[in-house]
Parts: sequence; C-alpha cells; structure tokens
Amino acid sequence: MKTQRDPAAGDARTDHDLVYAARDGDTVAFDALFYRYRDGIFRLGLAITKDPSAAEEIVVDTFARAHRALARLEPDDSLRPWLYRVAVNLSYNRRPRKGLVLSSLDEAVDEPLANEDGSPSHVAEQAELRRLVLGAVDELGPKHRLVVVLHYMNGLNLTEIAEVVDCPVGTVKSRLHYALRRLRKHLAAHPELGIEPTRPIIATELRVPKPITAEVPLEGE
Amino acid sequence: MRLFSHGCESRQAAYLAWADRPDVGERIALEAHAASCVECGDALRNAKRVDAALRGAFSPLRDRRTVIAPGRVRLAVGPRSTATNPWLRAPRFVGRLAEVAVMVGVTLFAVSTTFDPSAAPSSSTRATHSVVQAYVRAQPPLSDIDYLRWLRLNKPDVSSTASDQTRLPMGGRFDGDPVEIQKALGLSPR
Repeated sequence: MKTQRDPAAGDARTDHDLVYAARDGDTVAFDALFYRYRDGIFRLGLAITKDPSAAEEIVVDTFARAHRALARLEPDDSLRPWLYRVAVNLSYNRRPRKGLVLSSLDEAVDEPLANEDGSPSHVAEQAELRRLVLGAVDELGPKHRLVVVLHYMNGLNLTEIAEVVDCPVGTVKSRLHYALRRLRKHLAAHPELGIEPTRPIIATELRVPKPITAEVPLEGE
Repeated sequence: MRLFSHGCESRQAAYLAWADRPDVGERIALEAHAASCVECGDALRNAKRVDAALRGAFSPLRDRRTVIAPGRVRLAVGPRSTATNPWLRAPRFVGRLAEVAVMVGVTLFAVSTTFDPSAAPSSSTRATHSVVQAYVRAQPPLSDIDYLRWLRLNKPDVSSTASDQTRLPMGGRFDGDPVEIQKALGLSPR
C-alpha cells in the first residue's frame, strides 16, 4: 500500500533559508514553509473561531500576508511566532460576535473518537471528561484561553507564546497561572478527574508557627 | 495576624512547574520548598492533574489536520507577484498615462470654455421667451380668462406706439412741437 509522503518533511532547510529562497522567487521553498506550519495555524484558528472553514481561510490569509511581507521578513530562527501572531489577529477579527452561538471547542473533536481503543463505555467516559475540560477552557477569558490553547494545543513554550501575544514572559506566566487556578476550581467539581478543591488560605496556618504542646501530668496521677 | 494574605510567593512557580519545565536545580528547590509549604505542595500536586487533564483533552485536537494546498495562497495573493520585471509593466504604465492625459485634457477644455465669454451662448433667455409667447398667441382662447390673457398678449405694444414718428400737422404746427408763448414786455403782438 502506497503511503502519502508528508510534503513538510521533505525540506530540511531552516525557516531562515526558506524565507530567503522564497524571496528570490523559489515557490518550492514557500510551499515547504506552508506545509510546515499549515496544520498548526489551522488548529489555532479552529480553537479561536470554532469554525473549520474559517480556520482554513485564516491559514490562507496568514500565508498570503507572509507572501506579501517576504521582502521585510527577517526570521532569526523560526518563522512560527510571526505566523502565529498574524493568525491570532486574523482569528480574533473573524471571531463570532456576541449573540451568535457556534459549537464549542469540544465539538470540534469528532474523528479521533472512532479511533480510540477500549470499550465503548471507556470511550464515552473519556469523551465526557474531555468535554468537561474543554468546556472549562471555553469559560476562560480570551487572553487566558489563548495562552492555554497556544501551550497545550499548539505546543508553544512560554517564550514563544510571549512573542506571539507580544507581551513579556512574566505576563504569560501570570496569565497561565491564573488560567490553571481557574481551571482547577472548575474541574474540582468533578471527582473523576481527581483534582482537589482549592483550599482557603489561612494566614495563621502559613505564617504563625504552631505552639509547642506537651502533655502536662495531672495532679494525682 | 494579616487580614489579606497573598499566599506563598512560590505558588505561581508550583502551578507552572509542569508547563514551564524548569531546569533540574529549580525543580529540586521547588519540590524541597513544597515539602514544607502546605500551599505550594497542594498547588504542585493539583497542577499536575490539571496539566494532565488539559493534555488529554487537547490531544485529539493536536492531531487535527487540514488539506489546503498552497495554490489557494497563490490565488489569494493574485498575479501581482509574477509581474516583477519592469518591462512587463511598461504597457500598463503607458495605458495609465494615456488615461491621465485624456482626463487632464477634458478637464482643461471644460475649464477654458467655462471662463471664455465668446463661447458662451447669447440671448438664450430671450429666445425661450419668444417661443413661449408665440405658442400662446397661436392658441385659440378656450375660456374667458384665457381669452382675456390672449387679448392682453395681443394688445399693441405701447412702446412701439410711443416711438411712432408719424406726425400730423395741426394749425400750421406739428402736434408734437412744444408751444412756446413768447411774451414781449410792453410790446403789442403787432
């Protein structure tokens, strides 16, 4: 059986080399860049817009912008943060307006369920847990949700996320910290996930040393 | 006792221990701190579970792919990129130049005719007025009012009568001549 070769795996050149080759009119180099980042940008657009056709348009528009900006692009190492930043901006421009109800992020997960191993009850249970978690992510604010999506779905580290959202790494850490705390609070209501509820912080418990206690013998003993 | 506690300063590091991937030294220091700090121990333990739940939930989406071809990008960009040779753009430049020349010529012609008094049409209002009058005169009177109007329009022009130079003799004098009475003081007319 003939397997389809991944076009992105064929070109081992770095993004820097591919950008300079595409600038000289090498369409193969631009295609290699396209195949390398196509799926990641599609997933990012899908996570923000929740609409596969809009995500595909975002991929096309992102690379169209990259093509127009080839003469100005100076990627040091990776083109990914620049492309993702453009894709995020385009995705938020296409984001559904208030009042327009689209499917949730978890409803975009359709095909992989059929491929999972295990009993039908296990598959249904996993799908339910996934729905719970993605529903909780949906309830986050846009900034916190974007950081979670970029890290957990697109696999960007915190430095790359800082480049994409154009803010310091400390801000990204703060947003992710807040998002994880909120998610913990939401998901603690479902014991099947094994997440404990947030404990109230008691200053005396944390800061004041416990008094030393010792048994005092009672009189007559 | 503090009323508003902000918690341990290492709590954020504990929550991000699975996402930020600290190096070995930082990891050992954090775990040593979490062993003695209740809040950081709790955060480290539960952050791992939240992290695992998120990775599990996003894993099917991470495998999601698209089949868009790069040809769609070329279509979106358009044929502009192919015309990089300046000689290929020359015909378009000549066409655009001709358009601009025609536009400037028409504008100059319009401006020059607007301010040239000899080219302006003369007595257009009088011609319009005479046409209307001739038409109304030609119409038969249909009602009393129209008849009166028709009469008024067909009345002989006063100005032409006044300017009539026909002069009739009256008593040896023309009627139009001013009569001057000459009075000689102390003298008889004879």
